[in-house]
Amino acid sequence: MWGIYLEQLLQSLPFFLKGLWMTVAVSGLSLLLGTAVGFLWGIVRASRRRILKALIGAWVDVIRGTPFLVQIFILFFILPEFGVHLEAFPAAVIALSNLAACFICEIVSSGIESVPHGQREAAVSSGLNGYQQLRHVILPQALRVILPPLVGQYVLLIKDSSVVSAIGVMDVTRAGWLTVQRIPQGILVFGLVGLLYFAICYPLIQISGALEKRLGRSSRR
Amino acid sequence: MIEFRDVHKWFGDLHVLKGIRLRVAAGEVLVVCGPSGSGKSTLIRTINRLEPIQKGELIVDGMKVHDPRTPMTKLRAEIGFVFQQFNLYPHMTALENVTLAPIKVRRMPRREAEALGKEVLAKVGLADKLHQYPAQLSGGQQQRVAIARGLCMRPKIMLFDEPTSALDPEMINEVLEVMRALAREGMTMIVVTHEMGFAREVAHRVAFMDYGELIEIAPPEEFFARPQSERTRLFLSKILTH
Repeated sequence: MWGIYLEQLLQSLPFFLKGLWMTVAVSGLSLLLGTAVGFLWGIVRASRRRILKALIGAWVDVIRGTPFLVQIFILFFILPEFGVHLEAFPAAVIALSNLAACFICEIVSSGIESVPHGQREAAVSSGLNGYQQLRHVILPQALRVILPPLVGQYVLLIKDSSVVSAIGVMDVTRAGWLTVQRIPQGILVFGLVGLLYFAICYPLIQISGALEKRLGRSSRR
Repeated sequence: MIEFRDVHKWFGDLHVLKGIRLRVAAGEVLVVCGPSGSGKSTLIRTINRLEPIQKGELIVDGMKVHDPRTPMTKLRAEIGFVFQQFNLYPHMTALENVTLAPIKVRRMPRREAEALGKEVLAKVGLADKLHQYPAQLSGGQQQRVAIARGLCMRPKIMLFDEPTSALDPEMINEVLEVMRALAREGMTMIVVTHEMGFAREVAHRVAFMDYGELIEIAPPEEFFARPQSERTRLFLSKILTH
């Protein structure tokens, strides 16, 4: 009996791969956008701009304190009532980018704050301007602290991207939902879905671990 | 070159500088001593506005440092600052540490900056350490790189905030030696230190600070032989017996 299902599943493999491609597209795009915005927010959050800092802090708290599923529902189902219509794909990318930015913002700002204060004082004293201090002195040192948790966060976000299937994005999770209605072997179907996510995430987990080990070594120097 | 006119500074409720009046001429070497917490570090940190002042006037190289509208980046490029904890950039080699500001702030071509960096590092006795990272250098070597980093900007003023306090005793002299040479070349220097031998030998004047006030300031012969204030005498008797 399993043999038949396995064969059917194999036939729908192209369908799954299309879903996988969508998962990669949504999360890849969101991670790119989220990283850019998250670094910007994180830099502001570690600066002395009080009002901007507070605004970003409040937004990050709201996003971190509500379920992603609810955020994406609000964006997709409730905004149209106010006249803002979004297709499923852009809605998914916006919601996931925002979530990524919020988590990355926290990683970046604590990374910047981990750089000893004397480093900024030395940079200030030598006449470097704010941008130059950040670019040449603060960020290169902060990055060593930021990278391992950043890559770890990417793994979480790729997995969170499965939530976008709820608004009809044809990602690999949704491919599983649709397939399981034809092939009533949940364990096979979702086993495959899980395997596909694992295939993307596992290398990232390895990279994050390697980065962490390297950081530990260099800080002991 | 540097003039404090009734300068006050508070950290919250704490009054750390209480009406400082002081003039330092071009080419002068001033040593500032005093117990910890007396405000001597704060005093030199106000000169490049690492610490802003709240009252009074502070004129450095003709610029009004007390005025928040005065842009500091340009003035800071003219003032070398050496920290107790060195504060070298750990992700850069010695040569990269000393050439960063000349390249970025002075817009000096990289080759020229590197030639200058090599020359200045050689001057502080580190010609063979150009490509070492700070973590590979001893404390004394790190502090000499830090001095070289200041000198590569061809500054008009060098400020030293307890430059030898974090060093093992056997490394203190190599740093003082570099500073002596600098003083002989006519650099305007303010040095916060407890190295009284250094003060006696190279300072034009020695100042004593306590509780945020400049208690006494005099040429070293006078300062050490005939201190005017009781507090200065007490302080000197404590540190000179060690």
